[in-house]
Amino acid sequence: MDAPVKRLTLPARPESIAAFCEFVRAGALAAGIAASELEKLDLVLEEILINVARYAYVPDTGKAEVAYFAEKQGKLRVEIADSGRFFNPLEVDPPDLSRGLAERQIGGLGVFLVKNLVESIAYSRKDYRNVLSFTFPSGG
Amino acid sequence: MDAENAHEFEEACEHWITEGAKHLIADVDGLQYVSSMGLRCFLSVAQKLQSTSGSLILCGLHGLPRQVFEMTRLIGLFPVFETTQQALATL
Repeated sequence: MDAPVKRLTLPARPESIAAFCEFVRAGALAAGIAASELEKLDLVLEEILINVARYAYVPDTGKAEVAYFAEKQGKLRVEIADSGRFFNPLEVDPPDLSRGLAERQIGGLGVFLVKNLVESIAYSRKDYRNVLSFTFPSGG
Repeated sequence: MDAENAHEFEEACEHWITEGAKHLIADVDGLQYVSSMGLRCFLSVAQKLQSTSGSLILCGLHGLPRQVFEMTRLIGLFPVFETTQQALATL
């Protein structure tokens, strides 16, 4: 039997991120993910959700939906969806990490961090929604 | 340090830069979390200080924040020390 999917929909605003993190943390612990991994999970969620909050609906407002289920013991599958403008964060150019301090670009590190902290990640556009799905944590 | 509070760190640093500080030492020993917004602030302050031959020095960088600095290869762009005493001794 498939694991039940839990969903939470909130306004796509920075103020909602803490509630989304708390929601997914509960699922991570229930899936047997070590408590020591939870800050990494928060980081992944923040990086994705802050982009949704800041850019998906501008200048209007909208909702973000976070859903998760335990893929197997110790692995959580998380989907973050919005109905805003088309945006695939995985297509953003990676930052040039070889540059010195003066030349280092200030942006672009969020998606890079996300890709490095999850086991796998994929983007799809379904029914006019951006859906970003990832499996957490990496390894194991 | 996340999207909600990273600007507070940057504002505090800006204040000291305006007051004429050339080097700033940030004791981040108690920092448990830093997102890309936090990294952006560290980088922005360090770039400003470097433009006047100064530096942003980090002390007590541990745990996930250290992993994040290593992952993004920012670790090599900042002087990093275990304690503020060690950092002060280099100035």
